[in-house]
Amino acid sequence: MKRIFIDPAKCDGCKSCTLACMASHQDMTPRRGTLEELRQVLYTLDLTDPTVQSRNRIVSDGKGGYSPLFCRHCDVPDCAGACMSGALQKNLETGLVEYSADKCAACYMCVMSCRYGVPAVTPDRERMIKCDFCQHLEEGPACVRSCPKKAIEVREV
Amino acid sequence: MERFVIIGAGAAGITAAQTLRDFRPEDVITVISTDERVHSRCMLHKYLGHERDIPGINFVAPDFFEKNNIYHIPCQTVTKIDTQAKTVYYGGEGYSVPYDKLLLATGSAYFVPPIPHFREAPNVFGFRDLSDALKIDDAFARGKRVFIVGSGLVGLDAASALCRRGGAVTIAEMAPRVMPLQTDDYAAGVYQRVFEDHGCRFLLGIGASDAAVDGEGNITEVILSDGQRVPCDFIIMAAGVRPRIQLALDSGIKAERAIEVDDHLRTSAPGVYAAGDCTGLSGVWPDAMAQGKAAAENMAGVDTVYEKPYPFKNTSNFFGVTMLSVGRLDLTEGAEVLVHRTAREYKKAVIKDGRLTGYLSLGDISNHGLYLHLIKNGIDISGKKDRIFRLTFGDFYGINEKNGEYVYTV
Repeated sequence: MKRIFIDPAKCDGCKSCTLACMASHQDMTPRRGTLEELRQVLYTLDLTDPTVQSRNRIVSDGKGGYSPLFCRHCDVPDCAGACMSGALQKNLETGLVEYSADKCAACYMCVMSCRYGVPAVTPDRERMIKCDFCQHLEEGPACVRSCPKKAIEVREV
Repeated sequence: MERFVIIGAGAAGITAAQTLRDFRPEDVITVISTDERVHSRCMLHKYLGHERDIPGINFVAPDFFEKNNIYHIPCQTVTKIDTQAKTVYYGGEGYSVPYDKLLLATGSAYFVPPIPHFREAPNVFGFRDLSDALKIDDAFARGKRVFIVGSGLVGLDAASALCRRGGAVTIAEMAPRVMPLQTDDYAAGVYQRVFEDHGCRFLLGIGASDAAVDGEGNITEVILSDGQRVPCDFIIMAAGVRPRIQLALDSGIKAERAIEVDDHLRTSAPGVYAAGDCTGLSGVWPDAMAQGKAAAENMAGVDTVYEKPYPFKNTSNFFGVTMLSVGRLDLTEGAEVLVHRTAREYKKAVIKDGRLTGYLSLGDISNHGLYLHLIKNGIDISGKKDRIFRLTFGDFYGINEKNGEYVYTV
């Protein structure tokens, strides 16, 4: 299985990953396309639209550095272990924690249970938001491809 | 080849069945349930509100039993367990299944207080199983005046579903505010208003003490402790639940208020385990799943210690108003209480001896999971009080270099 490895020392807080994530999931639908096409989307990204949400966050570490917060697709995921609708499932083949919006009952047990505070709620309070590893993109997660410092990279674990 | 039997098809039972299959691809697994179909109790209101059909509240794949090669015996109540002969009897003791390891995942049952007529009346329902929801659905087709006893999560679930369908819902709550276990006065007020906007009426700080019945014993009026009479077509009981222990008691398995288990979820009978609500350890879905998993691992021979769960936690989402409530908001003696309120948000933190002991957030609860972790583990936050409402995992950041997962650094 794959995981996005993080080297916080390399992160300079530019938030390209955050914008790339938003672009990759604009209109709540995963966007297909090459990195170049995603860059084009960035120019039209409506940052005033609350439904344009990022699945990752970069926060300051208070010492001049940054702490990238990304879903770990944990080996033992608290979110899926709390899901009462079956919407969140650990895929044992790919290792990804997958989300099925159709099944989700928006109870937010996942939000409560993730000790790293990754899952978010949608503005309409009908869905949750978490990393889907950009499975709609052949080249892999948009955040990783957009990082100019190579602070995040996909590795096999 | 070992024979595993699971009694109950709720969160604990189903999780245990899946876990056993994962560890034991060849062994025989049987699930016996009173429920006809697998359903999520936490989604019953989606069915009752006609937002989803019955398959829509299933929390596993429709072919779960076939795919995992698990025998499912639905619509059957287990009447007795012979712990000596290791055999389970069901269907009026006419049928039996032998086991090597047995899991009791019998859940809990709604409680009807000893108010005159309430325990006998045919129009008093619980809201616990799909069979309850079906009965309510049927009653609602005949009359839309609903009286709900209790304004906890179950009561409000039922109320939200029936308000959506145009019911005239009255809720009586003994406590002075709605959802008394999860809220404070302010948060309760917000929920009360949003329910009232949807046509719900609340009677707070008062209980039912008597009832008027018709010729068939159906309750036609609830009489409150102050003498007030509330006409109704049917009643939903949401005044708490009790672990289902009768089967254990009848079979000589140790139980008092709940089925007694050790740290491996073993009961007093050899080879018999228990998980979920019937253990009385916790009443929330995630803990039932975790217990089902831990018990199944032990049954499969994988030594798993189950650590006592932290039961004070919940989220709610009614009419788009979301709340997260963790820890004890009521224990404020000797504690510092911080409040943050804006037009869209209300947050409260209870801090004692440099540790968070309670946290409530009403509004956008995104990324709030770490507060439960901080409370449950008593993590020191004394240096971070000034940004208590803006804490992120970044404040406790650590990475396991080996596998790339996060670890708390405190």
